[in-house]
Amino acid sequence: MKILMLFLILIPALSGALLPVFRMKRKGNLIYTGAALLVSLVLAFVLLFASEAELVLFSMTDKLRVSLHLDLLSKVFMGLAACGFPLAGFFAFRYMEHEEKEGSFKETTFYSFYLLTLAALFGMDLSGNLIAMYFFFEMLTLLSMPLVLFERTKESIAAALKYLFYSVGGAFLGLAALFVLAVYAPSLDFVPGGYLGGAGAEASEAHRTLLLVMSLLGIIGFSAKAGMYPLHGWLPTAHPEAPAPASAVLSGIIAKAGVLAIIRLLYYVIGPNFLRGTWVQITLLSLSLLTVFMGSMMAYREKNLKKRLAYSSVSQISYALFGLFLLNPAGFSGGILQVLAHAAAKICLFLTAGSFIYHGNKRMVSDLRGIGKIMPLTLIAFTLASLSLVGIPPFSGFVSKWFLAQGALESGISVLSWLGPVILLISALLTAAYLFPITVAGFFPGKDYQEEARNREGGALMLIPLMILAVGTLLLGVFSGFFSGLFEQGFAALF
Amino acid sequence: MISSAFLLPVILFPILSGALMPVLRIRERRAVRIYTGTVTLLTSGFAWLMILCAEDLPVMLLQFTRDFTLKLRFDSCGRFFAGIAATLWPLTVCYAFEYLEDDPRQHVFFTWFTMAYGVTLGVSMAGNLFSLYIFYELLTLTTVPLVMHTGTPEAIRAARTYFAFSLGGAAFALISILYLIFGGAGKESLTVTRIFYVIGVLGFGVKAAMFPVHAWLPKASVAPTPVTALLHAVAVVKAGVFAVTRLTYFGYGTEIAAGSWVQYLLLVLAAVTILYGAARAVREVHWKRRLAYSTVANLSYILFGIFLMSPVGLTGALLHMAFHAEIKILAFFAAGAVLHRTGREYIFEMNGLGRKMKVTFICFTVSAVALTGIPPFAGFISKWHLLLAAAEENTVWAYVGAGVILLAALLTAVYMLGMVRIAWFPGKDADLSKNETVRDAGPWMLVPMVILAAGILLTGLFPGIVIRHAQAIAETVRAMGGEF
Repeated sequence: MKILMLFLILIPALSGALLPVFRMKRKGNLIYTGAALLVSLVLAFVLLFASEAELVLFSMTDKLRVSLHLDLLSKVFMGLAACGFPLAGFFAFRYMEHEEKEGSFKETTFYSFYLLTLAALFGMDLSGNLIAMYFFFEMLTLLSMPLVLFERTKESIAAALKYLFYSVGGAFLGLAALFVLAVYAPSLDFVPGGYLGGAGAEASEAHRTLLLVMSLLGIIGFSAKAGMYPLHGWLPTAHPEAPAPASAVLSGIIAKAGVLAIIRLLYYVIGPNFLRGTWVQITLLSLSLLTVFMGSMMAYREKNLKKRLAYSSVSQISYALFGLFLLNPAGFSGGILQVLAHAAAKICLFLTAGSFIYHGNKRMVSDLRGIGKIMPLTLIAFTLASLSLVGIPPFSGFVSKWFLAQGALESGISVLSWLGPVILLISALLTAAYLFPITVAGFFPGKDYQEEARNREGGALMLIPLMILAVGTLLLGVFSGFFSGLFEQGFAALF
Repeated sequence: MISSAFLLPVILFPILSGALMPVLRIRERRAVRIYTGTVTLLTSGFAWLMILCAEDLPVMLLQFTRDFTLKLRFDSCGRFFAGIAATLWPLTVCYAFEYLEDDPRQHVFFTWFTMAYGVTLGVSMAGNLFSLYIFYELLTLTTVPLVMHTGTPEAIRAARTYFAFSLGGAAFALISILYLIFGGAGKESLTVTRIFYVIGVLGFGVKAAMFPVHAWLPKASVAPTPVTALLHAVAVVKAGVFAVTRLTYFGYGTEIAAGSWVQYLLLVLAAVTILYGAARAVREVHWKRRLAYSTVANLSYILFGIFLMSPVGLTGALLHMAFHAEIKILAFFAAGAVLHRTGREYIFEMNGLGRKMKVTFICFTVSAVALTGIPPFAGFISKWHLLLAAAEENTVWAYVGAGVILLAALLTAVYMLGMVRIAWFPGKDADLSKNETVRDAGPWMLVPMVILAAGILLTGLFPGIVIRHAQAIAETVRAMGGEF
């Protein structure tokens, strides 16, 4: 079983690296990529049912070890990546056909880096200590950067570099926390509940201020990938510049790697007890709430659909971070559920945005009037995902936000315990205000609308992933009892 | 065990062989290649034999007066430095064969290049500060002709600057050494001793390109690439760093400086140099000059580790000495390969070259990622140990330095990965028509580059043996104090 973890990383890595070597025709490339994605999916599915396992890949020194570890948290994020990548990938098989233009990169290059990115993601999910995670975090940045500059225009190159430098800079801030922890924490291996603040942590008391500052810096550093203020600037630039399937996985899955990194650092090395009630927690909560509000506001003002969705990601991922920073079980479950709910909804939304671009290059919100007549099924998927994102029961978005609000109220932190839910609510209203008008104008364009065409959907390769995701948001919500129960039980050791 | 008496032949062999080249009239390309290749390989073989088997005893060569003696001694610290030089020298010579293939004056180049090898080994084997000083001066003298090899006015100006800086610095270092030899450290007050120590560090710091005496290094990048790669990223500049190590840990001893204003002054100087070098590298558009500024910054990483004056700090410094050597030499090799094939020197001219010179740029990418300090490549290991040392030191200035190192790492990402981006992912409007005829470099260049890239990966994955050696050196240095 152990060795399967290694295979899960190696299969997409090798198949991605070898794809350009084979020089196949387009059809061969698609079959090859699709097969690699499906094999990864099956492997990940098998691993979901494996028991906890640990595999040391190599150790450079006693503390500098790269090890893989499979626990519930890795399973959640691994499952997310394993499901999300094939869906967006199959969509891409159709979508990217027309993206390979004069001057852009070859489609093959895209699939190659797409698979490599998946490998780095699996590596992050399975890493067993901070060093391994840091390594895969950096690799993820380097390997997903080419997805952004696919079109090779000035803007996309600038966006890719912005992404690269924000992420690398954030990782170096994270490294600041790492080396201090390497000296003052007993180990860098992930242990539920962390090392500081618990029993037998007198050493950490002596350097309390130092460790608090470094924890804050490290968490802010890793939050660069999750797009939290003040390191959010790259996200609204880079996500819309990428081709639609890449934006979908960037927003839906790769940005979540930042969330995973924060969970690992906060809950598995530092320990929630160490930060609970300190100024660091207040700072982090305030930053995440600020991001929630600011992201929604910016999304509301934005006219370009993909940019609007990117700002929406800034806001929604910080929902999850807010829950994690509450440092209590309800907030934590809410955060994880929000990660899953947002991933399903946002991948679906970005893919529908891609479908609109694919058919008639409709990029602005104003272009989408009457789109419901042309692409009814696509717009239905869009609507279902919107409902989830806003947080309307019984969609998954509702359940996660319910837990988040509950966690905030339970936390007992003055002001923020009620201000948090209020801001979440305001942001939900803003989310409704920037998503629903698209549906309304799409289905009911008004009298002066001149019909272009009827029922010109994107074809099975594009529609089926959309449908699966839209239904997924619903199912995640309906069976949320199963998930929340699983998380509450599985993550009880963290607190 | 090999007697230390054999140290002298190892130094003299390459120096004499180099000097014999004009006498034997070895000028034809093939003859030069065979002669230089054999000499270099033999020297590296001897050097490694001595590193592994020589006894650690002093051997007296000359006694000028009671106080001035020429002495050789091969201790663990020297062996570490010699190991770096002896490994990288044959690779560079191999690279230089192709780089200088059309140069009619290549026999002159290899004459000096071979002699510089012997002198560098001499620096590593010097048994006291005075001998170190002599080899240090000889190193300047043998490398100046290499800097001005092309003979252009620019090269001659650069060589003049290099000469003036190095000699001036050595003069200051000599003052400091004389102070030690005449026993000033015991007689004068602590403040005076500290001032003389700083003078010595700044003097040797010239070759280590410490701010404000760094200016010669970026200028010297007009030299042929094997020189910039081996001498100005490894042998010469690290001889400066090595001399500072000798002065700090073996000459004055860390007790006089640790915890005082001297240490803080030097740490701040190192931090300023790191930031200055990295920032200038970002602004620079000439490829080799950018790498030279990057060297300025990275040498001060090493100095920062030395000035932390703790065993962990010295470990980090030694590790960075070794790992930066292999990384930077590879980066220069890639720059030189492009220069040799296309004549292009500026970064914006690299548009899309990655597709045409695949192996070169794959190697360069490895070097760039490693220099940025991303695991599993070697650069991460040394940076990690420097940061650990700073955290164990736990003083404000140590954390300032650690912050600066992290900030400089971001700048490194900007200036190195930016180049990688241009080479592999050119903009849409880039004119790629000029690239049509470009071919990858030949095997003489590619083989050393591939070996180095593999070395960077391997030492990054399995750094245990290097780390253990560096730690052992740091421990012995602490145990024996200032006995040198």
